[in-house]
Amino acid sequence: MNHSDSNSIIENLSSIFTKTSYNHETLKIYIEKDEWVETATKLKDEYGFVFFSWLSAVDWENDVSVGDPPKEHIDPSFEILCCLSDVSDGNFVILSTKIEKTNPIVASLTEVFPGSNWHEREAYEMFGISFQGHPNLIKLYLPDGFEGNPLLKSYELLTREVKPWPGEVDVEPMPEPDISPESEK
Amino acid sequence: MTTTIDPTNSPYVSETSVSVEIETEGMTLNIGPQHPSTHGVLRLVAKVDGEQIFNVEPVIGYMHRGYEKLAEVRTYPQITTLVNRIDWVSGFCNEIPFIAATEKLMEVEVPERAQYIRLILTEMARIASHFVFNGAYPLEIGALTPLFYAMEDRERVLDLIESVTGGRFHPNFNRIGGVKPAAGAGPTTKKDIQDLPAGFYKETRDAMKTILLACDKFEDLVGGNEVFIARTKGIGVLPQEIAIAYGVSGPILRASGVKFDLRTTTDYLPYKDFNYDIPIGKNGDCFDRWFVRLQEIRESAKIVLQAIDSVPSGPLQAKVPKIIKVPAGECYVRAENPKGEMGYHLISEGGLGPYRLKIRTASFSNISVLPWILEGVLIPDLLAIMGSFDFVLGDVDR
Repeated sequence: MNHSDSNSIIENLSSIFTKTSYNHETLKIYIEKDEWVETATKLKDEYGFVFFSWLSAVDWENDVSVGDPPKEHIDPSFEILCCLSDVSDGNFVILSTKIEKTNPIVASLTEVFPGSNWHEREAYEMFGISFQGHPNLIKLYLPDGFEGNPLLKSYELLTREVKPWPGEVDVEPMPEPDISPESEK
Repeated sequence: MTTTIDPTNSPYVSETSVSVEIETEGMTLNIGPQHPSTHGVLRLVAKVDGEQIFNVEPVIGYMHRGYEKLAEVRTYPQITTLVNRIDWVSGFCNEIPFIAATEKLMEVEVPERAQYIRLILTEMARIASHFVFNGAYPLEIGALTPLFYAMEDRERVLDLIESVTGGRFHPNFNRIGGVKPAAGAGPTTKKDIQDLPAGFYKETRDAMKTILLACDKFEDLVGGNEVFIARTKGIGVLPQEIAIAYGVSGPILRASGVKFDLRTTTDYLPYKDFNYDIPIGKNGDCFDRWFVRLQEIRESAKIVLQAIDSVPSGPLQAKVPKIIKVPAGECYVRAENPKGEMGYHLISEGGLGPYRLKIRTASFSNISVLPWILEGVLIPDLLAIMGSFDFVLGDVDR
């Protein structure tokens, strides 16, 4: 990778967009929901981020039924993430916008990147997010009659409910530290 | 509907036949999910008019295993086992970007020797994956023989992977901070440790030389076959702009003439230490997609030959805590897998497992372009085009 080039692009983008972060070689641009399509178009047309890599969402929630909750208390919301890349230097950028859980609607990117079609369908069935302007917003992976949005933090993982983990058989008890007077001799 | 067949334009109609107008009726043809050419359980709902397809809708999800959800209830070392099963033809490659993402958040410096071993096994997995394609693709368009040769040569690579990792398809060999030592070799931080089996370098050198010869054999056997050329040249042309807009990556993108390879542009493994070419195609048709992959086998073999001559000595694993906790943060790490760009977007909240793990797989984006490319093609070409995309349903459905 040409580091001077990639750094200049990152500095350039950091100066143009008001809210950005660059951690662990991952550049994130935080934008408002209304600027979603406009920013993606701008990055594609003006900065060479023409390659549509992926789109997904994160369910930020304090009460979780699977895994660990966030460390600090947060405002519950959906974060939509979209990764765009160039096809020459290997730079990529992640667009991020937060939307309320009560009204999970965001504009569809299918007009700008046709490749976002399936990714948006996946986010729709997994999180229940609607993409305005999507030509065919139906379930992608899940069967037609499936109820619920599996990747929500409130959605219980059935196998873990039926058989909690770690099970009794899996885990050996930790050895007790030997504190009897004989061992001290 | 009315179809006019003009013998001067169609290569499928002999010149002796006359131009005729036929009344045809559109119908829906259901291909799969249980069909040999779909590489698993992909279903295509094709609307056809005679032999011509005018609309096709892929139906996926028959193999959806919900890895993104499962990852949220597992610890980081356990997820390595899961991600092995995404693209099972090249299981080893799936581990690398995940492990690299975890190491990036933990800010662990991986020892050079471990990185070289990872690189060698990644390239071997790439060779194995491309050999499966090289055997299966001619089979799909009617040539049985190449399959037997391909499987024989693939076995050489799988034997080598097995001798190091203990697994043929799902090595589960990477550890956060390095790689696993060979069985019974003791702790991983000691300097002189038996990590590669005895005679590994010699066997690898022999195998790679045989594979380079096998590539010549394939180029002659398959690429020189007139039937193969007639079925693939000029069929299923994928223009650059379409491929890029749909997120098509890997050999398919390069066959369309885009010289983009994540191995050279990112530093998840020390590829910069080696000399190799990035083969690209001119026309973006089925033949180019086949040929690019064949050349990639050669380049991978070259990388392996260079790498085994320069494996540095040293520890296999960096010092990491026994119980792995990843500091809060997020990052996206992607790698050039045999099928294309594979990446993991990891969000950690400091716990034993990730808060969210988004898995970007290559085949998913690659086959999302199928409705575009299959519009207007003939049914026999559908099989040729689908085969040339070399997708694995585990990689599509995750």
